[in-house]
Amino acid sequence: MNWKKQRHSGTVRLLHWVYAPAVLALIFSGLYIHSPSHAFGFKRMDSARKTHAVAQFLLLNSYVARVCYGMKDKNYKEIIPNRKTLKAIPKFLKYEFFLSEKKTKYPKYNPGQKILITSLAGLTLVQMITGMALYFKPLQRAVKPAGGLNRVRWLHYLAALMTASSVSVHLYFTLTNSLKKLKSIFTGYA
Amino acid sequence: MANMDGSTKPLIIWLGTNTCAGDMLSFLNAKDPGYEELISSIAELRFDYLLSASEGSDAINVLDDLQKNHKAAYILVVEGSIPTRSNGLYSVIGYRNGKAWTALQAVRELGAAARYVVAAGTCAAFGGIYAAAPNPSECVSLQAVLDRKVINVPGCPINPEWMMGTLNHLIQYGEPALDDDNRPKLFYGETIHNLCQRRDYFDNSIFAAKPGEPWCMYKIGCKGPVTYADCPVRQWNGEHLSWPVKANTPCIGCASPEFSDGSVPFFEHLPDVKLPGIKVTANRVGQLTGVVTALGIGAHLIGSILTGRFAETLKKDLPRGSKLKLRQRLKKIH
Ligand code: SF4
Repeated sequence: MNWKKQRHSGTVRLLHWVYAPAVLALIFSGLYIHSPSHAFGFKRMDSARKTHAVAQFLLLNSYVARVCYGMKDKNYKEIIPNRKTLKAIPKFLKYEFFLSEKKTKYPKYNPGQKILITSLAGLTLVQMITGMALYFKPLQRAVKPAGGLNRVRWLHYLAALMTASSVSVHLYFTLTNSLKKLKSIFTGYA
Repeated sequence: MANMDGSTKPLIIWLGTNTCAGDMLSFLNAKDPGYEELISSIAELRFDYLLSASEGSDAINVLDDLQKNHKAAYILVVEGSIPTRSNGLYSVIGYRNGKAWTALQAVRELGAAARYVVAAGTCAAFGGIYAAAPNPSECVSLQAVLDRKVINVPGCPINPEWMMGTLNHLIQYGEPALDDDNRPKLFYGETIHNLCQRRDYFDNSIFAAKPGEPWCMYKIGCKGPVTYADCPVRQWNGEHLSWPVKANTPCIGCASPEFSDGSVPFFEHLPDVKLPGIKVTANRVGQLTGVVTALGIGAHLIGSILTGRFAETLKKDLPRGSKLKLRQRLKKIH
């Protein structure tokens, strides 16, 4: 019998490994679509667009599934920052900016992780709405307040930059903060 | 059905507000039906700000008469945006009873009595160039000053067939199917990009590096992907001869609601970011985001190495066997 406490359930891990590669594929294909250059790993616009279409389909589905799972299992409470999280921010920042040596233990995610994951979820939502509006004319009603498709394209690009930046920060911290926690996204246990 | 003065043809008023006159001039190039056919056998252009033979009170009296005696019997076409500053005094279409009759008053009065109201060109439809920043005369679209439906036929200028088709549809069948921006789907139902003859070049990433080259104009700011209009198939110049991309220049998105503030710079993919005192291109924003992220991560990594946190993580988390191997390898290296 495994006495260790499970950190990530099988569903969470499965969904993570669907949307993580999808987000990366979306970032690279999206940057190519924005500014076609071999540096983003594509040679033809057609393949970048196909990759973007398949990846957005995977992301959309896994995102909806993750939100439903979060609601059913109430594990969204572990992720979404609350008043306690906000109070803990100064202490957390002091440690991360090397102004304090004392590392605080948090139940599952530290305030930084909570803010980062929630922001990524919010940015993904913006991307889904703006992306779909750029793709389907009937959905453009939803983005009318933005004032035109070229402006929606701007929002999509800006949210993509912020996502790419947040994903880089997330990758950096998962690779350097705790190898055990990193392992848990593969095995489930820290 | 006869009009109140005995004429039987549908009546049209073509009013000019803040406009360069480009839409009427373009409209005169309509081919099938042409302008001549329109005025001789389809409708009666009772008032036209540009082609009117009369002037002064003679011309204004025609409008008065139409408003009073032909309620719900005429189509009002407005070309140009409506200045609202100083009660509309930045555009005066004539004098009534010795007083300036502003475009703002005229479109409200004539619009209230019209059967249909049509905005000709992007300025009337969405504000366009006259409403671009800093917009000193506070120009707005026709819809913004009317509380009734306006059928928008944008374009800078309009393609003659878009307007001729819309007018004929109104006369023969009534209101055409409209999209969310009240544009006839008949002409604005698909993006320029999806109809473009150079789409194959786009899909295969064969891009023009400067205007004048015969490839896809995407990299030099073509707004075809975000502009709904049928320019590539209908084409322009009366004889349906050409359109911007065929003439080796990018589409500037002139039929879009965000034109022109949201489409500039015309030769860039995305608009610039304007902050007080600075203007940054979209690509520069991307580069800056990359640099700031890399610097932030790099600085934190250096801090972690220098304070020993990184080594601590490795020591604490690596499995025993691997720690031993790591130590042995390090010894060997030394
Ligand atoms: S020229 Fe413009 S509209 Fe034509 S395929 Fe290229 S980007 Fe699209």
